[in-house]
Amino acid sequence: MKQHKEINCKEVMHHICDNLGEDLDSPRCVEIKSHLDGCESCQTYFKSVDNTIQFYKKYNVKLTDEAHNRLIDFLGLKED
Amino acid sequence: MNEQELIEKSQLGDKRALADLVKLYEQTVYNFSFKICRDKDKAEHTMQETFMSMVKNIKQFGGKSKLSTWLYTVVSNHCLMLARANKKFNSAPSLDDEEVLIDEKNIADWNVVPDKVTENNELKAILDEAIQKLPADYRIVFMLRDVEGLSTEETGKITELSVPAVKSRLHRARAFLRNELNQKLKYETA
Repeated sequence: MKQHKEINCKEVMHHICDNLGEDLDSPRCVEIKSHLDGCESCQTYFKSVDNTIQFYKKYNVKLTDEAHNRLIDFLGLKED
Repeated sequence: MNEQELIEKSQLGDKRALADLVKLYEQTVYNFSFKICRDKDKAEHTMQETFMSMVKNIKQFGGKSKLSTWLYTVVSNHCLMLARANKKFNSAPSLDDEEVLIDEKNIADWNVVPDKVTENNELKAILDEAIQKLPADYRIVFMLRDVEGLSTEETGKITELSVPAVKSRLHRARAFLRNELNQKLKYETA
């Protein structure tokens, strides 16, 4: 079996930025997951990248009724 | 009436169907426009221009792609055009060196959780500031893929980038934004 070089934290962090949310099962990915399970520093990094995405997902703005009306007026779609 | 029926009626000149189609997507388009522009006035302007384009071109819409994909494309192009017209676009940081984006010594716990974002204006300002530093073409990829949840292939189609190019930009955008937020949030208290 081909031996891989030992994984370091920086490599794991690159992997997190590359593949977050994708469930990959190559031998290299399995090694990376194993490193992640036992490395507090990489877990913290993983959490911070995931939280970065979650922050922007949860930050939403709502279209007001006034803005909706201006849009319909702008498009000439107001009902007569 | 489903989306396909609304499109077909709109193509025959039915104004009511067109208005219903606008209503179906206005919140998505406005929210996505805001996420790229980070400005409510610009987001409203982009939304208006996007739907005007839809109204003018609905007869040519062949249904080869989803209407939502087409709307995301129009918003992305409009926002990119606005960004390029802005002088700040040329002074955006370079993300060419992937190695400097990840510093394994720069790790810290954040004491603010994503659920707090809706009620925390200071946090919103931090998020706005960070994303505005990200070049617009990276911002669009990040928003489409990570925030709107489109596939890598769909994101590539909208941005006219290859799958490897989408992945590369996404990697750099994630690392850049994470670093920017890390600078601000590692000192915050819940």
